[in-house]
Amino acid sequence: MNSGLLLAASVLFPLAMAACCIFGRFRARALSLLVVAPLPALLAALLVADGTSAFFPPPFRMSLVLDRPGAILLGGAALLWSAAGAFASSYMGREPAVARFAVWWLLTLTGSLGLFIVGDVANFYLLFTLASLAAYGLIVHEQTARAHRAGVIYVVLALLAEALLLLAFVMLAAGHPEANPAIRDVVASLPSSPMRDGIVVLLILGFALKMGLVPLHVWLPLAHPAAPMPASAVLSGVVVKAGVIGLIRFLPFEAGLPFWGSVLIAVGIVTAYYGLIIGVTQTRAKTILAYSTVSQIGLLAVLLGVGLDNADAGATSLVAYYAVHHTLVKGALFLAVGILAATGGARLRPVLLLTGLLALSLGGMPLTSGALAKLATKPMLGYGYLSHAMALAGAGSTLLMLHFLSIMARDARENSPSSAPPEQLIPWLVVAAASLVIPWSLYPAIAGESIASLLQPDALWKVIWPMLLGALAMLLLRRITRLPGSIPEGDIVVLAEAGTSVIHRLTAGIQQADALLRRWSVAGLSLIVVAVLLGALMFRA
Amino acid sequence: MTPLAPASLHLATPGGYLLVLAVTLPVLGVLAMLVLAPRHARQVALVTVAAGLVTAIAIVAELIRTGTALTYIVGGWQPPLGIALRADGLSATMIAMTAAVITATCLFARDLYARTPKTQDGRAPTTFWGLLLGTWSGLNAVFVGEDLFNLYVALELLTFAAVPLACLDGRAETVAAALRYLMFALLGSLLYLLGTGLIYGSYGTLDIQMLSRVSEGGPAISVALALMIVGLLAKAALFPLHLWLPPAHAGAPAAASAVLSALVIKAPVFLILRLVLDIAPPQAAMLAGQILAVLGASSILFCSVMALRQARLKLMIAYSTVAQIGYLFIVFPLAAGNEAQPPWETIAWTGGALQLVSHALAKAAMFLAAGVIAEAFGHDRIADLGGFGRVLPISAAAFGLAGLSLMGIPPSGGFIAKCLLLTAAVLNGHPWLAATILAGGLLAAGYVFRVVDRALATPTIALVAQKPIPHRLELVALVLALAAVLLGFVPLEPFGFLQLGRSGATTAVAP
Repeated sequence: MNSGLLLAASVLFPLAMAACCIFGRFRARALSLLVVAPLPALLAALLVADGTSAFFPPPFRMSLVLDRPGAILLGGAALLWSAAGAFASSYMGREPAVARFAVWWLLTLTGSLGLFIVGDVANFYLLFTLASLAAYGLIVHEQTARAHRAGVIYVVLALLAEALLLLAFVMLAAGHPEANPAIRDVVASLPSSPMRDGIVVLLILGFALKMGLVPLHVWLPLAHPAAPMPASAVLSGVVVKAGVIGLIRFLPFEAGLPFWGSVLIAVGIVTAYYGLIIGVTQTRAKTILAYSTVSQIGLLAVLLGVGLDNADAGATSLVAYYAVHHTLVKGALFLAVGILAATGGARLRPVLLLTGLLALSLGGMPLTSGALAKLATKPMLGYGYLSHAMALAGAGSTLLMLHFLSIMARDARENSPSSAPPEQLIPWLVVAAASLVIPWSLYPAIAGESIASLLQPDALWKVIWPMLLGALAMLLLRRITRLPGSIPEGDIVVLAEAGTSVIHRLTAGIQQADALLRRWSVAGLSLIVVAVLLGALMFRA
Repeated sequence: MTPLAPASLHLATPGGYLLVLAVTLPVLGVLAMLVLAPRHARQVALVTVAAGLVTAIAIVAELIRTGTALTYIVGGWQPPLGIALRADGLSATMIAMTAAVITATCLFARDLYARTPKTQDGRAPTTFWGLLLGTWSGLNAVFVGEDLFNLYVALELLTFAAVPLACLDGRAETVAAALRYLMFALLGSLLYLLGTGLIYGSYGTLDIQMLSRVSEGGPAISVALALMIVGLLAKAALFPLHLWLPPAHAGAPAAASAVLSALVIKAPVFLILRLVLDIAPPQAAMLAGQILAVLGASSILFCSVMALRQARLKLMIAYSTVAQIGYLFIVFPLAAGNEAQPPWETIAWTGGALQLVSHALAKAAMFLAAGVIAEAFGHDRIADLGGFGRVLPISAAAFGLAGLSLMGIPPSGGFIAKCLLLTAAVLNGHPWLAATILAGGLLAAGYVFRVVDRALATPTIALVAQKPIPHRLELVALVLALAAVLLGFVPLEPFGFLQLGRSGATTAVAP
């Protein structure tokens, strides 16, 4: 099969499915077809050679390019989308509103998968917008007051990110002869652009909002848990990676920007620890997972910062490798929350065991994808303070995941003996298996080391000591009984919400001003003032 | 008195008669309505609209074919004695846009009035058809006029057709709003006429092409232009002169609101563009453009916030109109040309034109969708519309798609327009205007989102339509909204068609 066509199909196929939802008959069955929507993308990630490109003729002018980091992320994301889609078709029930859920799902899917392969600036923005705004439908699907609040906060910040990125992209493309230049070209000329720092600030702010870097993370711990289970899995696993791929694509890793690299490292470290600290105070399993996502995204930002600092173009592949580990593990963990809620009795133990394995993988448990990701990125971090900071964050992750497991075990204790349906179990097991298989199979090519080197005692110790430290911390933490629930979900958003009364007063003032301006006497006076002003100025010219 | 160049500025072109048709066809329709019985008004209107649409398409086709502006010299008398009609690329775009919106509104009104067969030949529908055609004639006359006094007549025709449209249902509050509109519009007309008189007294001609050759400034032209521009601003309802617009546009019946908000206020904006670009001396044009941009930016920010605070859907859309008109005024400094590049070759010019057209389509779609909503539920209070997306999915989709264009979200005409304006602001070093464009987009997202959020909501008590709404009625708004979205597929560069008929730009042809 023509590989360019396959690449195009990975965007067009889910989009066509969304379009087909106009027809009532298709819409009624759309939910059960979600599993096939990302399959072209999965095939493209597996079969299409790096460097393949496809170009859509005008008026669409979209260009698609598959490169190494893109292919890694695309493959992992497509797999999770497909499995979560299968999970959703059993999980979501049968009320009519699920048809709408399927439409939002397909649109978010199109945007989020397209981002990994799109090659031109305008269509990157288009797909980014699609992924951002369609995700709103997933977040508010359950229509609870909580989901609604999360949705509103999400949409406000997502639109802010859109505005910042639009300005950044316009500034990037401003100097180019072509109206819709390739991302590669604009990034190549970024270091010499007179507006370089302004552009980089806007890019980092815009993508940080999407990724959830502190202090722009407030929407994430609210929005991800509010969505139905399979949607939480893809939101936390894949959709946040839109920001990661954005930074990978738009920051000049070949030329390097040492200052902005350090900024990213600093923000990343703060985010990594902040997510952990707030996470251990939470009492709901999905919220804990969301804070763990915040923390993991911080680690990705550190890796990106190091790559930018060292002008290391190879860093992007390592970032993608770490990101795909997180995509699969976090996706599987969210699905596990759904599975565990439906499991009790004798089946509980094996399910909890696998969940525990997945959870500790985030902390870097030996032989899991987490350990591989940490070992692969270790050389990049060097042996200074950064390496220790990251190892300590691994200890923190272990702590947070142990906290998560204890909450999960507590929640599931009362469950009546039952088992989740196989339509939900199988997708979960597939993602869990993929979270092991994919990182193992990619490791030699990404890290440039053989698998045997992973089994050396030295390598094992590197990942074991943070885990032991984390477990120790957990033992200490259990003694503090006031900790759970001491910080509300979304932490600092509560402070921001206190500011709404100021905005309310401001807009009320504007409304009063409008009433005044719309009086006859005032409007007449304005007419005269504008006329005199215009006449005088034009005369002076 | 300034001596003028010999009168060879206007050369009649073979297709010029099309312009006469564009202006006179609707008038003929109105005359036919007066002669025939009221029950024929609908058929006459439909036939006239079909003919007018064909004329508009023919004008655009003729422009593309010849690559030059269409000109018609009335009675063969050259200006300054006679008057000329002329359509360049921008005028033709306006004519086509007008025809599209009028056709859509006409189909909507036909289906709406057909729902109550008893009253479909009553006073309000019959009057509506006549006023719709009158408005159309006035609009086309503004878009092709070359003579300032002729344009004054066109503006008055437009005002007198548009004001009764605002109070068709005859309720006391809409009559009060329409009177407010009439008074302020007349004030504007008066100022415009005053300026026209000053110009005629000083230069002995009212022909725009001839006046454009008079480039030196002076007290007379400055005062005259200031008076005319301010008069037109009052009719365009730019902040802070928007007192009449929200009640008038929100109170009118849906089909009338669509025409008023999408088209009627664009006529004075179009004329301001011509005055600043064609008549004002370059230095004065630059300063005037800066003041207009300040007013435009204030309009965007102030009225977007007002739209956010409205409790009623139609008032919200009306305030949004005042805000969106602001974008057309910030084009002036952005499209400031230079020796190498005249204004109409800049991206801001294309961006402005695109904003004008996409706003017309999107706003008409919004008002029609809002009309369907008000018809179905008997009110348009946003807070009580929870779950209307389930009852009226097509209208909700139309509103959402039109909203995309207003917010400037891709893919839509509004996005390309804002992207081009933003690029111009970045390239020309106008950081404040760039910030205004972005803030305006965010605020627009806010007020559109409020409604979309209601559409998606699931209230505890399900919303039920009081009257059944046929799909055909809803589809008109959806088609208009889709057209606004499809405009987003034009290329991101200066658009050749808009430069047609501008001096020195006769070679570029639309793709």
